[in-house]
Amino acid sequence: MTGFVLWALVASGLAVVVVRRRSVVVAVVTAQALVLAVAALYEAETADDVLAGGALATRAVILAALFAGVVARTRERAPVHARVPPLLRAGLAVVFALALVWLIPDIGLESRDAERAVLTLVAFGIATAGLRRATLLQILGLVLVENGLALAALELPGESSVAVELGVAFDLMLVSIVAVVFHQRIFGLFGAGDTAALRSLRD
Amino acid sequence: MTSREWLALSVPLAPALAAIFVCVAPRRAVSPVGLASACVSALVAGALAAVALARADDPVTGDWLVVDAAAGLFVGVVGVVGLASAITSIAYLGSAETGLVRPERGPRLYWGAFLAFWAVLAAVPLAGNLGVAWLLIEATTAASALLVGFSGKARALEAGWKYLVLTSLGLGVALLGIVLLAPSVSGGLGGLSWSSLASIDGDSERLTVAFVLLLAGLAAKVGWAPVHNWLPDAHSEAPPPVSALLSGALLPAVLVVAWRSDRALAPAVGENLAASLLVAFGLVSLAFAIPFLWRALAWKRLLAYSSLEHMGVLALGLAFATPLAMAGVVVHVVGHALAKALGFYAATPLLSHAPSAASRPATGIGRTSPALGASLGISLGTLAGLPPSPLFTSEVLIIAGGFQAGRTWEAAAAAALLALGFLGLGHALLETIAGRTHRRAPGSPVGLRTVIALTAVATVALLALTAAAPWLPGSDIVDALLETS
Repeated sequence: MTGFVLWALVASGLAVVVVRRRSVVVAVVTAQALVLAVAALYEAETADDVLAGGALATRAVILAALFAGVVARTRERAPVHARVPPLLRAGLAVVFALALVWLIPDIGLESRDAERAVLTLVAFGIATAGLRRATLLQILGLVLVENGLALAALELPGESSVAVELGVAFDLMLVSIVAVVFHQRIFGLFGAGDTAALRSLRD
Repeated sequence: MTSREWLALSVPLAPALAAIFVCVAPRRAVSPVGLASACVSALVAGALAAVALARADDPVTGDWLVVDAAAGLFVGVVGVVGLASAITSIAYLGSAETGLVRPERGPRLYWGAFLAFWAVLAAVPLAGNLGVAWLLIEATTAASALLVGFSGKARALEAGWKYLVLTSLGLGVALLGIVLLAPSVSGGLGGLSWSSLASIDGDSERLTVAFVLLLAGLAAKVGWAPVHNWLPDAHSEAPPPVSALLSGALLPAVLVVAWRSDRALAPAVGENLAASLLVAFGLVSLAFAIPFLWRALAWKRLLAYSSLEHMGVLALGLAFATPLAMAGVVVHVVGHALAKALGFYAATPLLSHAPSAASRPATGIGRTSPALGASLGISLGTLAGLPPSPLFTSEVLIIAGGFQAGRTWEAAAAAALLALGFLGLGHALLETIAGRTHRRAPGSPVGLRTVIALTAVATVALLALTAAAPWLPGSDIVDALLETS
């Protein structure tokens, strides 16, 4: 995968950390997954590789439809404010990514740039889930982590396992569907998909 | 394929098919079909457990499927807790309301998710491949999160949401660890069978990082401290039969995967690191749990923190890996599952008898409802490790195993922490049974008869387990588990 594509993936990952509008974040993670799917299909050498790339594309389209539908059905009066302002969020995410790249020196992928991109996307995904309050954005953080891991699977030397890659895509869809059920119920109860409303369980 | 492999495949297949039946069954038939399916699924699980344990010295170890003593033990536990949860679900559904979906769809959603959860849960100990095990564990999250939030109340939604996000993030970290392992095995991600991992060869620094990420990620699902935050909330807010399945079956099933990974990768990362990481998780979990066991907590929340303590004990037993410790692990897994499940089942009549017990400590139940008090007392007494509880025996065996393994300080620290935990739970036991009584709801508590029957069965099983414990060190089952170690 070229350096430009890797940089584009990382930059779009940072956008997920800072952008306020849910629909834009859905578009960004979908575009990321589609770029990965196109790259997988372009570099496919066996039927299994084509199947894995197809699974990634299918996952991207299904999740895009699911999330776009839920954004349309649960319109927020105003975007849910995160606990941490966007610039500080971006700073924390970048520091976390740098720490991860420093702590994990070698993953064994085909290029060091790809390794850094994988770790950065994982860090940005975790930061999104941890620092944002909107329920839908927390789940999109999980999808961002999975996009990073899909990039890793794509850049692994040697043969890939289509069974495991299909399974990962299927599991992510299952988790996303359940998350959407929760989001809709939370929205129905509190009028916003805001995790700040869910703070009663404390010891 | 051998007959054992066919039987192993039918263990998850039976509840999976049942989940589909439940989805298409007429509305009135949903609960009877669910219960009947649970009986069949438990029968199949019991058959596999019996066969796997009887032939512990001759395991089936394929690239995708493994039928050994550990698989037999844990599939048996899933079958027993699953069946008892299905039986108690009838009373729960009779008294519960659901806000997650329209009320008329509640039983169908409940039974569908319950049986789907059972199917993937039963498959976890049978997975012969780390990649497949990861997929199954992630799938348990989706099915069980729906059940945790089943009531649709704000607290249940909070618990379900935390469970979904935190365990999925943890499993994402574990998957990163798996990806790091993949370049070192032939066949990429598909070559991650336990036997392939045992002979893995590669950059030791990368393998160490992969191992730590994998275990830390799985720890989030096992409920080991400090990544256990979802556990008290999910266990306390889920429907009681689901809490039983989460605590008695899900946590130990994921623990098996953590243990298999630990043992398979130990030659590559070093025996000391592999064991020390488990010891660290064990001791930290115990240390985190103790302060909460000393506090006056609502019944289900108290049981949830006790799960944290017991998962810590199991981590220690698996790390010590001597004949004594491994015998302790076997007794602890079974005893904990029975006692904890009984405690959660008793929550349905408890909340009907004393509704304030949902958010405040249950006190004086033995005075106002002796039968219910007996169920709560047997459960809590067993979990506290009060002799002749099998958990007393198992904890003694595990600590003795620690000394046998030469881990003197760790075993001594565990003994001290367990003694503190015993005092906390002992106090809670006295308060629950004979504390000050408050106003109680009139009439017979919901589902009390079922719980009394289950208490009788569980008491006999727990006493039998205590009696069998001294014979376990040196048995074929323990030897087979040690061979895996």
